[in-house]
Amino acid sequence: MPELPRKKVGIIACSGEEIPEGTVTRLAALKVLESLRPRETVTICLPLFLAGGKGDRAFARFYPTIALDGCDKRCAARGTEMYSGKPAVSIVVGSTVPANSAGLGSARRLSEAGLQVVSNLADEVAQRVDQLLDLKWDRRSGGTLASSEPQEEAKPHPATCSCGSGIPVGTLQVAGRKVTLVALPQIFSQFCEAGKIPGDLTRAEVLEAVRIYNPVPEEEEAAYAEALVEEYGAFCRGSS
Amino acid sequence: MKEKVLIVPCSGIGKSYGTVAREGAYAVTEDLCPGKTRLVPLALLVLGEDEARAAMSGARAITIDGCKLACAAKVVAESGGSVAHGLQVLEVFRRHRELKPSGIAELDENGHKLARVLAEEVKRLVDTLTQEASHA
Repeated sequence: MPELPRKKVGIIACSGEEIPEGTVTRLAALKVLESLRPRETVTICLPLFLAGGKGDRAFARFYPTIALDGCDKRCAARGTEMYSGKPAVSIVVGSTVPANSAGLGSARRLSEAGLQVVSNLADEVAQRVDQLLDLKWDRRSGGTLASSEPQEEAKPHPATCSCGSGIPVGTLQVAGRKVTLVALPQIFSQFCEAGKIPGDLTRAEVLEAVRIYNPVPEEEEAAYAEALVEEYGAFCRGSS
Repeated sequence: MKEKVLIVPCSGIGKSYGTVAREGAYAVTEDLCPGKTRLVPLALLVLGEDEARAAMSGARAITIDGCKLACAAKVVAESGGSVAHGLQVLEVFRRHRELKPSGIAELDENGHKLARVLAEEVKRLVDTLTQEASHA
């Protein structure tokens, strides 16, 4: 499996504008993204699954996701599953973190109690992130204990979203028709960096890597492999 | 005009402009024209629920998007709604470059001012739509 961008957890908030719980999900997601786990998390706007392209819809296939919902309609969890992939974790405000709707304030301005629920929910999400990444978090150092990488100083960090970028896709001519393949540029890039020479030896390997993120019809495997090797060759020539 | 104008902001969570869209929508529906408008959560439309689609049917919507991907406008159109006006926060900002917003969870002063300017533009559009409907 190619090492696509460093493994992160995707946080998807419903952001429901009508109810305070929706604002709780939004602010909790932002707290995790900006302060608690900025290096381990990324987000995408929920509507982008519908409005975006194939790359955006591949989001939950790349990242284990945590869906945060403000009510039992579970728009974030269901929308993510419908368009992208089943969330690894689904949390509805009030289900794991006690929340009294009447005391949260308004959707526009949360009360102190509402902000406390945001903080509690964000802590819960951060713990789930650690579980998904199998990390142990050292609160004193602000770094992960399991990681051998040097930790950056823990500090507020702008939330990173996938708007306008999504997951990279590439196109390929297979048996006379154009197909779009998720992650193709990264797969080629990693193969190229690893010094894999285009040809028969890499044919099966590149097909296998592509198949992780894309459906490849069994009856067309040979045509895909042929096209992939040819395209990978062109990619390598362009990179050299 | 019997039907309220639907105000649909994007759910942008990665940029200040998304928060400006959200805050501007609240300013329209709660402060400037609460009797003429109704806020519609975009997440419900993403699911394509019958109830949400029914609310869009036949109604006129003003969408407010925080980036060029225009999720709100696209999702409303996909849901069978009629986008009477599709606003982009960036276009409003280009007309008011002194109001560069920052902050996502909490907008700074410029962000709040930009949201107010945006809301006033939306209010004018709502008034026009309302007048057109009453003359029809």
